[in-house]
Amino acid sequence: MAVPRSGAEPRWRSLVRSLLDTLIPLIILAAIWQGSVWIAGLPPKLFPPVEAIVERGFALAANGVLWMHVSATLARLLFGFLLAAVIGVVMGLAMGRSRRVEAFCLPLLSVLMPIPPLAWVPLFILWFGLGNMPTILLVAFAASVPIASTVWTGVRSVNEVWIRAAAIMGVEGREAFWKVVLPGSMPSVLSGLRLGMGRAWPAVVAGEMIAGTESGLGWMIFASREFLSTDVMFVGIGMVGLVGLFLERVVFQTLETRTLKRWGLVSEGAS
Amino acid sequence: MSKFAWKVLRALFPFMVVGLAYEIFARSGFMKPVLAPSLLDVAATFERMVMSGELPRHAAATLLRMGIGFFLAAAAGILLGTLMARIRLVDRLLTPVVGIGLPIPGLAWVPLFVLWFGLGEKATILLVAFSATFPIIVNARMGVMAINPIWIRAARIMETPPSMLFWKVMLPGALPLILSGLRVGLARAWRAVIAGEMIAATSLGLGWAIFNAMEVLNTDVVIAVIIGIGITGYLVETLLFSMIERRYLVRWGMMRGTRE
Repeated sequence: MAVPRSGAEPRWRSLVRSLLDTLIPLIILAAIWQGSVWIAGLPPKLFPPVEAIVERGFALAANGVLWMHVSATLARLLFGFLLAAVIGVVMGLAMGRSRRVEAFCLPLLSVLMPIPPLAWVPLFILWFGLGNMPTILLVAFAASVPIASTVWTGVRSVNEVWIRAAAIMGVEGREAFWKVVLPGSMPSVLSGLRLGMGRAWPAVVAGEMIAGTESGLGWMIFASREFLSTDVMFVGIGMVGLVGLFLERVVFQTLETRTLKRWGLVSEGAS
Repeated sequence: MSKFAWKVLRALFPFMVVGLAYEIFARSGFMKPVLAPSLLDVAATFERMVMSGELPRHAAATLLRMGIGFFLAAAAGILLGTLMARIRLVDRLLTPVVGIGLPIPGLAWVPLFVLWFGLGEKATILLVAFSATFPIIVNARMGVMAINPIWIRAARIMETPPSMLFWKVMLPGALPLILSGLRVGLARAWRAVIAGEMIAATSLGLGWAIFNAMEVLNTDVVIAVIIGIGITGYLVETLLFSMIERRYLVRWGMMRGTRE
């Protein structure tokens, strides 16, 4: 069973193998779903058969509705995440470098930490009305706290020797920050951004459900409930998973390997 | 004494600044007073809600839902993770399922749960269980896989029955990782229960209270409940987890008081 995936195996074969490894269990799962729905005699309106979900998925993809929702969600995500990235990175860097900023921000962050960001949405809705604003703010809120705290720890763990070496060579103050501290804390900035994206993605979907955005994947899932379109719901849920996986695996992993390996900042095995 | 007062003042300083900024924002007339109530009003509302037992009641309902959901998630997650680590077929079957389930935010399932089970407890509890299960599975699997094989072989040689192998060798051996999975799961469960209550709850719970107050424009109640959520969340995190960690891990010498 344990086939060693060595270099001896051609690339396409290992690709096919891993594809099969993924697909077969999913097919079995789909079969179990379909079988149990049939056997239990559940109403197909509420428990749609797999083929109906797939069919609806293709139909929504073909008439562009699905892409409209996906792009609306991604746009909100992007706005909120950029906001969070700027706030979080700046705040984290400032906290890591300045005792005073740290003493000021840390208690605030630790008070915010146990409050689920979603709890603020009703307040945002009251202040800014239904629509895009509460969702974008929610995303920004959800992502900026982990980004700030990761960057903060990262900046503090920049090798003290580098800073001292730079100081001996006459690089101090602002220049040392730009040339030594900032590049040195880049790995933690990246992992903070990754963590933040992990929070931002559920947040944008949640926000769309609650804040009445009238477009976006979250809204698509939530609104289908009124028409009992469970097949649309499944398509939406699947799409949320796929896009989330894409953001995590493809976008961030590529970013990490591209940058960190080139900078020589990660050793083998570090995530 | 004056040193102590100075310390307290310094700890409170950031909150005073933020509070003052909010107060200026609230009184500037930029927002209607209904929408941005003064902190004094919020404090009064908070006190009234605590004293009347309203807020504790909401918190208790939320904690109950979260507790049931989290318990289900812990049981299912540890069991599935252990099975995946020990039985190859189960691992191959479930790995893609977990891989797909992990990135889907639990909340995305709620409308479906509501259609299936109606509004109310079931949908919220299921959401909590669903959100918390996946990280627990992943960590339990890693934890069991990382157990020193010599321990398992030694137990086998002594003809340990499977149930005892699970309770006496695998569970304790995998505990540090399982606990960190439970910790991630608990954080997720906490976010999930609030979210679920916002959408699916019918009468009680902190999430429901916020949403309900929003609909009748009681901004002071909204803010008071947010404060209540913060306090409850803090208690859950520190009380529950620090206690468990101190009790088991440090005592068994598996961890030296470090976190995560």
